[in-house]
Amino acid sequence: MGSLLDKIDIILISTIRMSVPITLAAVAGVFSARAGIMALGLEGMMLAGAFCAALGSYIAGNVLIGLLAGIIGGVIISLFHGILTIRYKVDHVISGIGLNLLASGITTVLLQTIWGNRGNSPEVNSISPIHIPILGEISPLVCVMILVVILSWIVIFKTTFGLRLRMVGEHPKAASTVGINVNRVKYISVIITGILAGLSGAYLSIDHVNLFVREMTAGRGYIAVVVNILGRYNPVGALGGGLLFGFADSIQLVLSGDNIPGQLIQMIPYIVTLLVLMFAVRYIRPPAGLGKNVED
Amino acid sequence: MNAVEMHGISKEFPGVKALDNVDFSINKGEIHALLGENGAGKSTLMKVLYGMHQPNMGTISIKGKDVRINSPIEAIKLGIGMVHQHFMLVPVLTIAENIVAGAEPKNGLFFDLHKAISEVDKLAKDVGFTIDPRKKVEELSVGERQRIEILKALYRGVEILILDEPTAVLTPLEVKELFTTLRQLKQKGMSIILITHKLHEIMEVSDKVTVLRDGKTIGTVLPKDTSANELANMMVGREVKMGVKCRSTNVGDKLFEVQNLCLKNGDRFCLKDINLYLRKGEILGIAGVEGNGQTELIEVLTGLRKPDKMCLKIGEHEISNNAGADEFIKSGIGHIPEDRGERGLVLDMSIKNNCILGYHRINRFIKKGIFLNNVIGKYARHLIKTFKIKAVNEEIHVGTLSGGNQQKVIIGRIFAQNPEVVIAAQPTRGVDVGAIEYIHHKMIEFRDEGKAILLISADLDEIKSLSDRIVILYKGCVVAQGVTDDFTDTDLGILMTGGKISNEER
Amino acid sequence: MKSNVKILDKLYAAKGISNTIVLFLSLILALIVGGVFFLANGYSPIDAYAAIFIGAFGSFPAFIMTLTQATPLIFSGLAFAVAIRGGMLNVGTEGQLFIGAFAAAIVGAYIKGCPAYIHIPLVLLAAAIAGGLWAALVGFLKVRFGSNEVITTIMLNFVAINLTGYLVNYPLKNPEGMMAQTKPIFDSAKLPRFFSQYQLSAAILLAALTIAVIAFIFYKTPLGYEIEVTGKNKRAAETAGIKIDRVVIITMFISGAIAGLGGAGQVMGINHSFIDGFSPGYGFEGVAVSALVANNPVLTFFSGILFGAIKAGAITVNRIAHIPMDFVFVIQALVVIFVASPKLVGSILNIFKKKGDK
Repeated sequence: MGSLLDKIDIILISTIRMSVPITLAAVAGVFSARAGIMALGLEGMMLAGAFCAALGSYIAGNVLIGLLAGIIGGVIISLFHGILTIRYKVDHVISGIGLNLLASGITTVLLQTIWGNRGNSPEVNSISPIHIPILGEISPLVCVMILVVILSWIVIFKTTFGLRLRMVGEHPKAASTVGINVNRVKYISVIITGILAGLSGAYLSIDHVNLFVREMTAGRGYIAVVVNILGRYNPVGALGGGLLFGFADSIQLVLSGDNIPGQLIQMIPYIVTLLVLMFAVRYIRPPAGLGKNVED
Repeated sequence: MNAVEMHGISKEFPGVKALDNVDFSINKGEIHALLGENGAGKSTLMKVLYGMHQPNMGTISIKGKDVRINSPIEAIKLGIGMVHQHFMLVPVLTIAENIVAGAEPKNGLFFDLHKAISEVDKLAKDVGFTIDPRKKVEELSVGERQRIEILKALYRGVEILILDEPTAVLTPLEVKELFTTLRQLKQKGMSIILITHKLHEIMEVSDKVTVLRDGKTIGTVLPKDTSANELANMMVGREVKMGVKCRSTNVGDKLFEVQNLCLKNGDRFCLKDINLYLRKGEILGIAGVEGNGQTELIEVLTGLRKPDKMCLKIGEHEISNNAGADEFIKSGIGHIPEDRGERGLVLDMSIKNNCILGYHRINRFIKKGIFLNNVIGKYARHLIKTFKIKAVNEEIHVGTLSGGNQQKVIIGRIFAQNPEVVIAAQPTRGVDVGAIEYIHHKMIEFRDEGKAILLISADLDEIKSLSDRIVILYKGCVVAQGVTDDFTDTDLGILMTGGKISNEER
Repeated sequence: MKSNVKILDKLYAAKGISNTIVLFLSLILALIVGGVFFLANGYSPIDAYAAIFIGAFGSFPAFIMTLTQATPLIFSGLAFAVAIRGGMLNVGTEGQLFIGAFAAAIVGAYIKGCPAYIHIPLVLLAAAIAGGLWAALVGFLKVRFGSNEVITTIMLNFVAINLTGYLVNYPLKNPEGMMAQTKPIFDSAKLPRFFSQYQLSAAILLAALTIAVIAFIFYKTPLGYEIEVTGKNKRAAETAGIKIDRVVIITMFISGAIAGLGGAGQVMGINHSFIDGFSPGYGFEGVAVSALVANNPVLTFFSGILFGAIKAGAITVNRIAHIPMDFVFVIQALVVIFVASPKLVGSILNIFKKKGDK
């Protein structure tokens, strides 16, 4: 009995822990999607964020600088995605895939150049948990995640910027004919996407663990794209989806003690994603202008 | 001093000179019509005025001041507003949000929705519109949406209002209401520019007309000094016969019959108890305001959508309700789709390959499962010649052709396969006058061979001039049918908007 | 009117030429930017590229190595190109390759006693069907549930890699050995090698043959026509009576079957068993291979060889100078990005033109 309660406790805590990167990345995706940009490059942004965060923490020995570096890493990839899709009208999917491949290649090369190891970085300083009554030791980024969800919801649905953002994503031409600077709105949203995705990546490398591992995002960026859709392009929905996947992830931890082969357990989140795609996604209407390039 | 003065405007797009030294001016408190065919440069000229295009040459002055208008934002600041042909509205947002976006009332950092609603409410009452600003735009009819567009311009305090083909999608009644609104705005001192190709509207509402042709100004005249025929000649550049009637002289037996067609979308009927038939040698026109079930009717009658209930016969042959589009084609039902770029053609594929689309599995083109390339090439060249498609050769992409020639590819492809019945949806939409005449001629020729055509068109004039009989569709139901010449314009207008007239069944 | 048509046609023709130039420039730009990245990591790009070139073409063994490296890339490039023609972005070639390779290893190692001329086709068939079905599932999810194929293929990649990983670590592990791999396949299932001392096998001929078959289907048959129409305009395809759902699934099946054959080629020609995680990303690399030749299936052969050369060269460079061979992936990613951005390449070109004018 005691072990069962322990397990529930472990599942609860790890569900929250594992939901952080997915939720942050999904909210990141919400900003892009609402502006009509398909953020298929989330995986690459997270990877760059994770790498830069580890690097920042390694060099400065300071996690805050690591966090900042992670954000910068995410923004760099996101801005590339923005420039390619907005200015050069590149297909959003191809640009996303291309940047993901690029981020994966660059981080692996730099891993070897900087640390001489193809698999992972050395251990770096990581964010220390804070103590919160009832929940116990918990990462400050969990609080950041909740704050991000609330603030994002307010920005998108209650501010003039949010109204303009939604208009741009639904009907960019309509937005430009009423004098909204469509590209500015898109670039702002792309930068927000980069910040949040970078933060999400930083969480993986300097909070969840304390080092960068090659390909450590392991498809979470793509899962976040699905969570973004599942959450109806709404930050609160993204949190709900993030918790679902956090749960799927945390099941791994519990089951891995029970002699079940790791490979089978690792398949769980991906299969959950497929099931979600099958049964939930088709009832959701995306922003009308999503993924479309407007010819000037 | 004119409200707007455009002088010597030229605009070139890659390979096309859209505007060539065009002059245009409008006074305060004037309704000025801009008349011309598709592609004459009307919209381009107005997009230049609205800052969406930059002219290569020429000057614009607003109230006597020379200006450069680099974007719609600057145009709005100069008091210019535009109602686009394709509405620039976001369906999922509310009326109030659509109207104030870009110039939102604020409350600190936040968007003040309440103030937006009350401002829009007041504005609407000023011009006599009854709307609920909280409603989402997707719930509105086309006519209502147009009013939202006008309000959007008024909200920004414009004094010069451009309307691009505003009546194209309206019912006769809505057109009357629109004109009342325009006259009212004129009284308030606004300058209104009306882009149109409909002559009788010009005669009815405008104070002045400027005619454009091939990107050049042909002249500016007063409607009271001219006639519709004269304007038509100026517009086309030669004598045209308007609204020719050509009724069938040889109507035969029933060829195509639809009984009890019902189609549901969820639990709402899109089409309800439709009964109609086509006889050999006749054209049946479907009249109705767009969005009253025409698209669904076309889709069901071409196998693209499965009806909930229907009995469909072509000759003696019954087509099952589960049949796919391929079986409809095989049964001799040709389909000219509503939107040629979307459904009719593969634009980035050669003319040759587009010529066999839908007929690519017939024996003539295949031997032992392999395409007979020579036969297909010859067939395509034959179509190009027979249907007067202007193209260098059959290998070029169909997307490089003009709208009229693209439509001819579709018409040729279908008529050449000798179907029994053709479902022709908007066969002349966005096509130049020459091609319209040609396509109408081909349709009549086909009818006179003893075949039948079901014509669906948003252009009531086209329906009236070609159809032998008319079916009127309103909210997915047939509200009246009968011989074309028995309906007056007023009758049609009333029936199309759900009204009743006495002596309905003729 | 007539002149209009002509002008448009000329424009179109001109566009056709510039497309080729853009593709070529994309490769050059990718190499230049990749070179800058070399430099940033403290390596001389010129030395590195020279070494890569020598490592790829400098000797007979080097050239054989290039072809060996090219073989799986040709398969996955072709697989990607096939799917694109049907309007699908098959980013799942990696997973399909794993599944195909696994099926090949099983049929190769567990069916005993048939002659090579039966066993080899049987193994290939199993690989093609396994990879094909794995991909057809994506097509099915797309038509039945509207699931975006990019996401489903990527998720299925993870599932495939983990699933085969489980099978090869537990139930189907070769009992005689420590490594996570299946029992070796019988000799009758091995593809012949050209030279006993090199790994290059008949798989490359199989790749060429597959390309020929695909070209025939695409350019000569109604099925190929339906795939093209569906890929370019689904609504027009549907209107023309084409059963687009079926076409999408068939397209994905063909694409996955080709990727599966690529996996089989590695098992039957090189490893002679299924090794856990044997592919360093052959499937993903197909995206770049196909992109470089604007998804033309026939040309994937040459583009595959080009990327094979870069890889073979990089392996040599890595061995001698210890330059990370992951540079190859950076260059590939840059190729994908540049090829997809003709406007970017055009404006970069304009910068040089302007400088030239001054």
